[in-house]
Amino acid sequence: MPSLRPLFLLCLPFWLALSASAADLTLEAHLIWASNESSDPRYLPAPADLSGKLHQIYKWNTYFEITNQIRSVPAKESRDFRMSDKCVLKIKNLGDSRIEVNCIGQGKQVSKGVHTVTPGQWVVLAGNAKNNTAWFISLRPVDASLATNRQ
Amino acid sequence: MKQQQQHLKLQAWVDGELPDGEARRLAALVAEDTAAQALVSELRALQAAMRGSEMTRAVPDSREFYWSKIQRQIEREARQAPGAAAAAPLSWLRLWQRIALPLAAVAAAACVALVAVKPAPPRAVASPGDEIMATSEAMDTMTYHDQSTGLTIVWLQDKNAAAPADATSIQDDNSIDTD
Repeated sequence: MPSLRPLFLLCLPFWLALSASAADLTLEAHLIWASNESSDPRYLPAPADLSGKLHQIYKWNTYFEITNQIRSVPAKESRDFRMSDKCVLKIKNLGDSRIEVNCIGQGKQVSKGVHTVTPGQWVVLAGNAKNNTAWFISLRPVDASLATNRQ
Repeated sequence: MKQQQQHLKLQAWVDGELPDGEARRLAALVAEDTAAQALVSELRALQAAMRGSEMTRAVPDSREFYWSKIQRQIEREARQAPGAAAAAPLSWLRLWQRIALPLAAVAAAACVALVAVKPAPPRAVASPGDEIMATSEAMDTMTYHDQSTGLTIVWLQDKNAAAPADATSIQDDNSIDTD
């Protein structure tokens, strides 16, 4: 019976290199609605750190959180983040902290882009909405232990 | 210690291994000493018992001839050993080990080097990797990064809305309904 140890040693570095680059990515996503109303009984305020950052850039009075999700996206795979009845993000993990984000609004593609995500940094898709309001979808990578993988 | 030496001498005397003078002295000692007599009789009894029960092995050849055969065999194997090792062809397993082990070492070094020189993932400061590949025909996009907040914002603007994406001049469009 030939020894397989040399073969194992030969393959080990490649396997380690592949496994290091093909890691799952856990993403936190928030759908935020920006309004000049001070309160809305339907929604809770957006997380303070995120709304604080938005306040530094935009002039809306209040940022409400419509939904939030934390999901894990395996390497080279795609997952749907259903942010509302009419808004779905199809996110593909391209590896090396890069994601392809396909934003679907009311069944139609609104945008498709590739982004690099870094811990502590937000990638935000945004646009105008009715009555001097706006929507924001913010994404950032988080620790895998936070993933709930709920739709 | 002295007693032990005396016991050893008595044992040698019983076995007939002492020179004549020493043997005579021991014989005189045994004649006078009852403890020495007891030990001598015990040793002789043991000697007789062992002699009676010892297995005999018959060698077919004479002792010298039997040993000469062993010696010739040892010399023959000693002559063959170095030559045989040198002349034997490399087994495929040994060949595989000779090739694979250096290869594994080279591969490991290459991977370590690859990881060591692998550039760090780009920070989102300039977001060079961010790109919008497609939008709906009715939308324009504008991407910018705010360093103070760490936000990279892709603003989607309805082409039909003339005003810029600013809170002070929001137009009524409905690109994504949050309801």
